[in-house]
Amino acid sequence: MSTPAPAPAAPPAGEAPLAVRLRGIGKRFPGVIANDDVNIDVRRGTIHAIVGENGAGKSTLVKILYGVQAPDSGTIEISGELVSLGSPADAIKQGVGMVFQHFMLADNLTVLENVVLGAEKLHGIGGAARAEIKRISDAYGLGIEPDHLVEDLGVGARQRVEILKVLYRGARVIILDEPTAVLVPQEVDELFHNLRGLKAEGLAVIFISHKLDEVLSVADEITVIRRGTTVRTVDPVGVTARQLAELMVGSELPSPSTEASTVTDKVLLHIAHLSLPSPEGRPLLDDISFDIHKGEVLGIAGVEGNGQAELVESIMGMRKGATGDVVLHGRDLSTTSTRGRREGGIGYIPADRHRHGLLLDAPLWENRVLGHQTREPSASRGLIDKRAARADTQRIIDEYDVRTPGVDTLARALSGGNQQKLIVGREMAGAPILLVAAHPTRGVDVGAQGAIWAHIKKARREGLAVLLISADLDELIGLSDRIEVILRGRLVGSFDPSDVTPQQLGSAMTGAGDDTTSRETA
Amino acid sequence: MRRTTKLAALLTAGILSLAACGGDDTEASDTPTGGDAPTSDVKVGMAYDVGGRGDQSFNDSAAAGLDQAVEEFGVETQESEAEDGEAETAREERLRTFADAGYNPIIAVGFAYAASVGKVAAEYPEVDFAIIDDESLVDVPNVASLVFAEEQGSFLVGAAAALKSESGNVGFIGGVETPLIQKFEAGYIAGAQAVNPDIEIQSTYLTQIPDFSGFGDPAKGKTAAQGMYDNGADIVYHAAGGSGGGVFEAASESGALAIGVDADQYNTADPSLQGVIMTSMLKNVNVAVYEYLAGVVDGSTPAGVTRYDLAVDGVGYSTSGGQIDDIVGDLDAFKQQIIDGEIEVPTTP
Amino acid sequence: MSPRVTRLVLGLAAPLLALVAAFAITSLVLIIAGDPVGGVWSTILQVPAERNMANIINNATVLYLSGLAVAVGFRMNLFNIGVDGQYRVAAFTAAVVAGEAWLPGYLNTALAIVCAMAVGAAWAGIAGVLRATRGVSEVISTIMLNFIATGLVAYLLRKVAVREAGSNEIGTKEIPEGSRIPSIPFSDNPAISLYGFLVIAAFFGFLFWFVLNKTRFGFDLRATGQSTTAAVASGINVTRMTIGALLISGAIAGLVGLPILFGDAYAYGSTFQSGLGFAGIAIALLGRNNPVGIAVGALLFAFLDEQSNPLQIIIGVSPDIVAITQGVIVLTVVVSYEVVRRYGVRLEQRHVARALEQSDEPPAPTAGTGHDESKGVTA
Repeated sequence: MSTPAPAPAAPPAGEAPLAVRLRGIGKRFPGVIANDDVNIDVRRGTIHAIVGENGAGKSTLVKILYGVQAPDSGTIEISGELVSLGSPADAIKQGVGMVFQHFMLADNLTVLENVVLGAEKLHGIGGAARAEIKRISDAYGLGIEPDHLVEDLGVGARQRVEILKVLYRGARVIILDEPTAVLVPQEVDELFHNLRGLKAEGLAVIFISHKLDEVLSVADEITVIRRGTTVRTVDPVGVTARQLAELMVGSELPSPSTEASTVTDKVLLHIAHLSLPSPEGRPLLDDISFDIHKGEVLGIAGVEGNGQAELVESIMGMRKGATGDVVLHGRDLSTTSTRGRREGGIGYIPADRHRHGLLLDAPLWENRVLGHQTREPSASRGLIDKRAARADTQRIIDEYDVRTPGVDTLARALSGGNQQKLIVGREMAGAPILLVAAHPTRGVDVGAQGAIWAHIKKARREGLAVLLISADLDELIGLSDRIEVILRGRLVGSFDPSDVTPQQLGSAMTGAGDDTTSRETA
Repeated sequence: MRRTTKLAALLTAGILSLAACGGDDTEASDTPTGGDAPTSDVKVGMAYDVGGRGDQSFNDSAAAGLDQAVEEFGVETQESEAEDGEAETAREERLRTFADAGYNPIIAVGFAYAASVGKVAAEYPEVDFAIIDDESLVDVPNVASLVFAEEQGSFLVGAAAALKSESGNVGFIGGVETPLIQKFEAGYIAGAQAVNPDIEIQSTYLTQIPDFSGFGDPAKGKTAAQGMYDNGADIVYHAAGGSGGGVFEAASESGALAIGVDADQYNTADPSLQGVIMTSMLKNVNVAVYEYLAGVVDGSTPAGVTRYDLAVDGVGYSTSGGQIDDIVGDLDAFKQQIIDGEIEVPTTP
Repeated sequence: MSPRVTRLVLGLAAPLLALVAAFAITSLVLIIAGDPVGGVWSTILQVPAERNMANIINNATVLYLSGLAVAVGFRMNLFNIGVDGQYRVAAFTAAVVAGEAWLPGYLNTALAIVCAMAVGAAWAGIAGVLRATRGVSEVISTIMLNFIATGLVAYLLRKVAVREAGSNEIGTKEIPEGSRIPSIPFSDNPAISLYGFLVIAAFFGFLFWFVLNKTRFGFDLRATGQSTTAAVASGINVTRMTIGALLISGAIAGLVGLPILFGDAYAYGSTFQSGLGFAGIAIALLGRNNPVGIAVGALLFAFLDEQSNPLQIIIGVSPDIVAITQGVIVLTVVVSYEVVRRYGVRLEQRHVARALEQSDEPPAPTAGTGHDESKGVTA
């Protein structure tokens, strides 16, 4: 299957000494793709990107390099010295630092306090530490004020605090795990600027990502991982995103692009003046109104935490205190329970399938029943119809290509993509009128992604109304008939996906560009 | 799952600590075997209530009587105690095990055994039983009921408290609110009021059925007593078994006095606390057990109800420490009036 | 090994592992204390006499109901620590109702049972409402309600108490003979018999299984227990389920004292057995909240209690040693179930991976195969 991993390709310009040298790294978990014969060289003063699809083994590799897990085989050399990293503390001692995708900062503490937390021995907790933070911030152009409260900082600044934390601890090799996932395009540019600063100071930066355009614009070398092993290391000059992607997937790529419009003028979902007050003052949702028509996909773009989750949950009736109208196909569901809304014809693909979509320790057929326990074929007359539920689960497995040995397998044992396909199949099973899909392809492999996109397009063709929430702008642009941007709980702009760029969306998402005149939505 | 694990750990810790509390009485039944100690072929089975030997309360008092019998008659003994929250069948089984193993007589300490003694005595008519603090089995031929007039002894210490109190304010602390302990309270109040009709009496119980921890929790006793002293009491009488130690501590810290119960607690208390123990209400369970066993060894197996009251010195008061030497005359006058029936002491408050 | 056999072996391995560990630890305690290990075990493990057998079954009946009551809550991740208070309030109520005998014969019995369940449910329902509307942890509120139950019952008992001449015990009026539940003969000796309530307990065990595994309500309850968030998203009204589960738990708790009341004591008095609710927690854990498992756990605990009784008399070892064994069993059971569960998940993942490798390129899995009979969710 996988091409045998060759030794890294001829290194590109600059014969800087090696910061990290991985040889033959292997790690096995039962039933899970891990690492097999991974070889990577990272030079000082370079940004080295590691790309691969979800589940390709990137995070395992990172964990090995940061001392969280021990490899079963292979060697790690740092600055030419053979090391054994038993814990993150060992890694930090060897000058390896890590910036996680999810920030590990205490909101109610200042930058200074967050940075010195756990590293009090280095420069104390007072003036010396403050001076050191200023020095690092100035040297790398991070622009961090030690005495600001973290809760007052934006996402980009928080990320810089994380980087500063790592530098403060003396890291010479910095690993960034999907650092751009939480950033809007403008912030991404800023981050890349900072990374180049680090590189100029002779640090080695390891950059984990699956966003290929970004990787191509910032990296000096790119290593592609597929199925747990290094496929190739390439020079970004002279390689296209599509070529990279095909290296990652090993086959032709799916694309989210929509076919001819199927939008009709029949309104299926009518949302009017939807608001959700918050005890802390600013409402979580503020007077949101929109319609979705039969055969239309409405995409909602926005930086995470601007009310997307609240919007979805309010439409699903999961939020107490939401006001405003939710009218589905002429039927007012505003005061109906979640179960009533589901029975009324809403299919729901939740953003976090582990928390909201599945019973992980229950077999697949019981997961098929979940959310449909009042409806045929799962139940009849107050009793669960196990036989019919199992049969219908098998139908979903077949039709939606859920790779599983059977309907009795526990949901936990499936990969993310297969779990998600099961959820999509389940939510389409009740003959819904409206499909609410929140981040439907988050954390699934490319194969499953393509399949889920196909199902959403099919739903659209069949005349459903689809509300699509996604952080992936390509996905939004590719699938939506119309995109609304949400910012601080308000809809601030409406775009036509056929002539909008990610940059324009990014501006609207951060409230930066008022050049896009937002038009009122009906 | 994680919650479950935590809970299990808590539970286990709880069970283990409970077990640890009552765990060390396995060698309690050693028979002193002196060179020419008297011997007897009487085998005594002793079934204690919860707490067993070492409870510094009436189980201990019963054990003292047993020890005396062992020493003087050389009877062979075996002991077993009740568990907290055990089933009725567990009590029955305990008595049956004694009977099956050839123990005769079998002494059940505490009224909780009433039903099981009634049942098992019927199954083993050739075995003799004795039960302390219960006389509901008066018609069963092979059961001896050993009961006490706690209210009479309590009357006398109540009178002593009233005579000695300078503030005109005294207290009563019961371990668990049962009819048995209410007899102590009733007698104490009557005695105090007989001396001083206007006396102020504070009264409380540490716990309620089925929580019997009131008989073995010095901290609870101390808190309750402290409250009474703070409210102006200068003498507090406790009928709270092992919780009484806390009452004495509170008395010591408040510079006040306390009255002990069951045994002469002046003799068993820590020397630093002896000064606060004005007197003790004696409930001579040891005497009852000893006399019963003496009868058994003698061959005249007692049966029916034996009432230990002031007339037979089955209850009384102690004078160790000499604090009430000056009022012994008054107390003895009361005692005579009770024996003569001139004073009828109530049994319920 | 077929998946079905694997699952069975794994299912039995956990409790066996736990028992062996518990016995080893108890033996160690005995050795350290210098007590006769062999004597203790030969006493405990001897075959019970007929009478003891009946006692074991009777006590297990009581413990079983307690375990069921706790398990209903556990299935929804609710910790009803208050079964103890609930059953005491309920048993007292039943004793008063049955003692007053407003209705004749078994109508009186039925009324008393219904009252007990209603009172138990109401007592637990307080915790349910507090949890659902105010977010008060049911652990805290049920513990507090236990204390209140103690005080309330003690107070009311004194109000209604009757006292036999010469006895220091107080109790409710005796239940008239016509309203007592007849016992089931167990041997030639008519004195040795089983509680008639055994049948009712077994029926509730079946009901427990049926409701949880076959009904929509049971599915909702289990789903909520496994993941509140997923339950909410699926349309389950978690507030209502919380109150409902505690009401049911309390209603079953209301039955706990009744086998004793109607089969043995015939009155609620100061020596009525206490602490049964806490034993139920241990037994529900031991039985994995499964009606058959709880039965096994209840029998095991009752067996240990019964067999340890003569320890002190026969070989001079305190029966408290059995409390240690029971505590250690609970702990080791939880640990070993978790160990075995993780091992099972790993096995399952490996199984999935292997199955998918075999059918790798043609993506559709071989339909209709690999249907090992899992019995659904087992919390």
